[in-house]
Amino acid sequence: MSIQTLQKKVSWQGLFALLVYGFMYLPILVLGVYSFNKSRYGAIWEGFSLRWYRRLFQDERLFAALGDSLKIALVAVSVSAVLGTLMAIGLSKYRFRGRSLYLGISYLPLIVPDIAIAVSTLVFLASVAIPLSIWTAIAAHMVFCLAYIAVVVSSRLSGLDPNLEEAALDLGATPTQALVKILLPQLMPAIISGCLLAFVLSLDDLLISSFTTGGGANPLPIEIFSRIRTGVKPDMNALSVLLILSSGLLAAIAEYLRCKGSNQAIKG
Amino acid sequence: MPRRSSFRPNSSRRLFLQGSAAAIAGVALSNCRGGVSDVQSGSQAADSSSPTSSGSGTLNIYTWADYTDDELIQQFTDATGIEVSVDVYDSNETMLAKLQAGGGDTYSVIYPSDYMVTQMVELGLLTKLDQSQLSGLETMQEKWKNPVYDENNTHSVPFVWGTTGLIYNSAALSEAPEDWDYLWNNKDKLSRRITLLEDVRETLGAVLKSLGYSYNSTDPAELEAAYQKLLELKPALASFKSFGWQDELLGGDVLVSMVYSVEGVPVSQEDTDFKYVIPSSGSSVWTDTMVIPAAAPNAEAAYQWINFNLQPEVAASMAERLYLASPNEAVLDLLPEAILSDPSLFPSEELLARCEGIAPLGEVSALYDEYWTKVTSA
Amino acid sequence: MSRSAVTDSRPQSQQVKGSGSLLRWRLTRLIGPSVLLGPAGLWLLLLLVVPVLLILRISLVPGLRPEQAITNYGLDNYLQILQPTYLRVLLRSVTFASGTTALCLVVGFPVAYWLALIAPKRWRNLLLVVFILPLWTSSLLRTYAWITLLRTSGVINLVLSSLGLPEQNLMNTTGAVLVGMTYSFLPYMVLILYASLEKLDLRLLEAAADLGASPNVAFWKVTVPQTLPGIAAGGLLVFVTSLGDFVVPTLLGGPSSMTISRLIYNQFLGVSRNWGFGSALSIVLISAVSIAIALLLKYGDRNPDGFS
Repeated sequence: MSIQTLQKKVSWQGLFALLVYGFMYLPILVLGVYSFNKSRYGAIWEGFSLRWYRRLFQDERLFAALGDSLKIALVAVSVSAVLGTLMAIGLSKYRFRGRSLYLGISYLPLIVPDIAIAVSTLVFLASVAIPLSIWTAIAAHMVFCLAYIAVVVSSRLSGLDPNLEEAALDLGATPTQALVKILLPQLMPAIISGCLLAFVLSLDDLLISSFTTGGGANPLPIEIFSRIRTGVKPDMNALSVLLILSSGLLAAIAEYLRCKGSNQAIKG
Repeated sequence: MPRRSSFRPNSSRRLFLQGSAAAIAGVALSNCRGGVSDVQSGSQAADSSSPTSSGSGTLNIYTWADYTDDELIQQFTDATGIEVSVDVYDSNETMLAKLQAGGGDTYSVIYPSDYMVTQMVELGLLTKLDQSQLSGLETMQEKWKNPVYDENNTHSVPFVWGTTGLIYNSAALSEAPEDWDYLWNNKDKLSRRITLLEDVRETLGAVLKSLGYSYNSTDPAELEAAYQKLLELKPALASFKSFGWQDELLGGDVLVSMVYSVEGVPVSQEDTDFKYVIPSSGSSVWTDTMVIPAAAPNAEAAYQWINFNLQPEVAASMAERLYLASPNEAVLDLLPEAILSDPSLFPSEELLARCEGIAPLGEVSALYDEYWTKVTSA
Repeated sequence: MSRSAVTDSRPQSQQVKGSGSLLRWRLTRLIGPSVLLGPAGLWLLLLLVVPVLLILRISLVPGLRPEQAITNYGLDNYLQILQPTYLRVLLRSVTFASGTTALCLVVGFPVAYWLALIAPKRWRNLLLVVFILPLWTSSLLRTYAWITLLRTSGVINLVLSSLGLPEQNLMNTTGAVLVGMTYSFLPYMVLILYASLEKLDLRLLEAAADLGASPNVAFWKVTVPQTLPGIAAGGLLVFVTSLGDFVVPTLLGGPSSMTISRLIYNQFLGVSRNWGFGSALSIVLISAVSIAIALLLKYGDRNPDGFS
């Protein structure tokens, strides 16, 4: 390969992108390296050690927190998947008075900052004297989960061919049949990616959880936040590495499913 | 039909107002009884359900980061068969806010500081303790038999006491800090090498003290002076931090930190380069207590937990593990001389006399907060 | 998408069958929307609209504390926001947010451009996934990673001093907050710009080139206008997200980084417990953000991704 073609191939955007990829991964790399550092404090390398990983795996509290987070995310996302998808379909199907209001409200969780949602949910729960628990957190998470899922599903809906469903209706399918047999399979990739997005956002949420969780439930972000504030501990490095690895795996699976799903949608 | 954005401000605003009027009417009815946060009604609900849950199930505890450990919890579970779940908070205000928001209904034991006990009693958030169910209070030191924050310990059991002071890196500082003024005198040398507590009462209190005023001043002029003095120091601060300064101090990022003794003393014990000092002009001396919230489920287990913590052997072993200064004479009898003679844990009476407890402020606390926001916003 | 034409055409064909069917048709017409829109709508009403209206109400009660009953109304909380101290907090939040947005655009556009138009086609998906992979991890831990890098005894200073350069105070500065926020929100920007650039009609660029436009001119006259909706959406998303961000200023910001979200947080979980003032601040934040979005929808793209 001559130098000219190489130069042609490597654009400045490519080099810049490489740099930005470096920027994105530098902190993670640093965490990874220091998760094996023997030293507890500072950046000086004092030797290889697995002690932080050992400590992490003995940390029942952290695993309990992870369990709480997963429970909140799984319940909130699965319920929201149904509600959000129905909402997106409803909004695309019907024109009615107050639709724009409905639409505007369904956008709110996407645009209103977490702190404001958190605070207003707290005030609401306090004023109707509902004690905070893991279920109040799930209820609060559902608000943004269903909004995100609905947006993702909607954008897919607007790109769909309405003729398929109409054809089904004309051929005598009930609206429910048309929904389940025609629309849902087409929407599945969008529903899955919406769910994944909502799942990640829910797992990562600190503020809404902080204001709405109680009753002994202690989601992972709250635990991590309080650990960072109460002393940066190197086992957090180890935790980051494990989380990155598992999310990498999850993302790979998600991407695989998405490709498979869209291929099927095309074939079907 | 053309597809276009359906945000039409005028019509949607009208609809919004109509809808909101209806919704307000609905919600307003539900909370016109008491305060916005109706903790009382929450507590009634919890009370009615508590008989079924008492004596069994998990005991939920809400406490500061360093007041329990796995060993203590294991011992308690072995002795009573009750599982314990611990949540931690990092400031009294966080705990109070969480409780008022209805997030505390599952907690059976909480560890508020002195002034917070007074405030919580006033707010009706605490159970009046059934003294017949408590044992081990007789050996409490004289000072804690009838503390000012809670007469005769009717609502609280003293758990640990301590001071607020400075911890510094003695290897890096030629001159050791002795008083608050050290920070101002060395602010150029210590630029970005100081952390102060992220605690409005402690930090403003310390500045007030350095000016010769009370830690609990309610005089607006004195507060203004303290605010101005704190602003002078601000360029030299790395951050306001109540917790998490350890890493920065031990890593060398920071040279002096204002800390609670429960946090500072363990660090000074682990590494003798770091020394904890109580400023000579005086500081705050605080007591953290164990209380049972009014809404507490499983009160029986709560008493068991408190009594367990009052056992001298248990408390003494905790004191050695976590460097907690107990207000209980029977505990002190069991402690080795090395701990008892540590002036950072047990300062001289003379120095203690110059320290003050943090008192509830009532309305003035809003003024503190305003100055605090000004300091952090400047 | 417009299904109304289809639903509207049903009645005529069914009306013929008699009034019973008409009634049934009317019922079905109600059942459909309520099954589809009811549950989510109810949920949003109960846990979003009512709460926001509640804090709107509370924001009109001067200095309301959680234990107090609502006795009188007034605008005191809003007037309090107009004090210089709190205006400075608002200004700082806006500065952080606009700085972050600008940085994300400047850094994100070339990356998205490369990903969407230049990178080898079969690797594009993978490259995009790799780029947004950090989003899948806890944002707290990613911010924490920057502490390791920026602190005085941190990695960057270690490198600097081994090169014989003087140590820098990087932590607890405005710069640290901007870097942390940009790092946190860049993947969103790239994702949105990518989606926008991917749809770019390359024939337009070819046409521009055929008509003699330089790549530079073509970029500004074709690519940018074509992707303007994406730029606006991405910019707005980053602006709004960073305006309400709590984690980065709290962990990287140091003593002079009070932002509106931290201020609100302190009113509810802090020393003052001033729910009235905190609610007023929240209402201001919600209004600012909603107005920004409404403006985008009105003057921006007529046909944005998403609903309608």
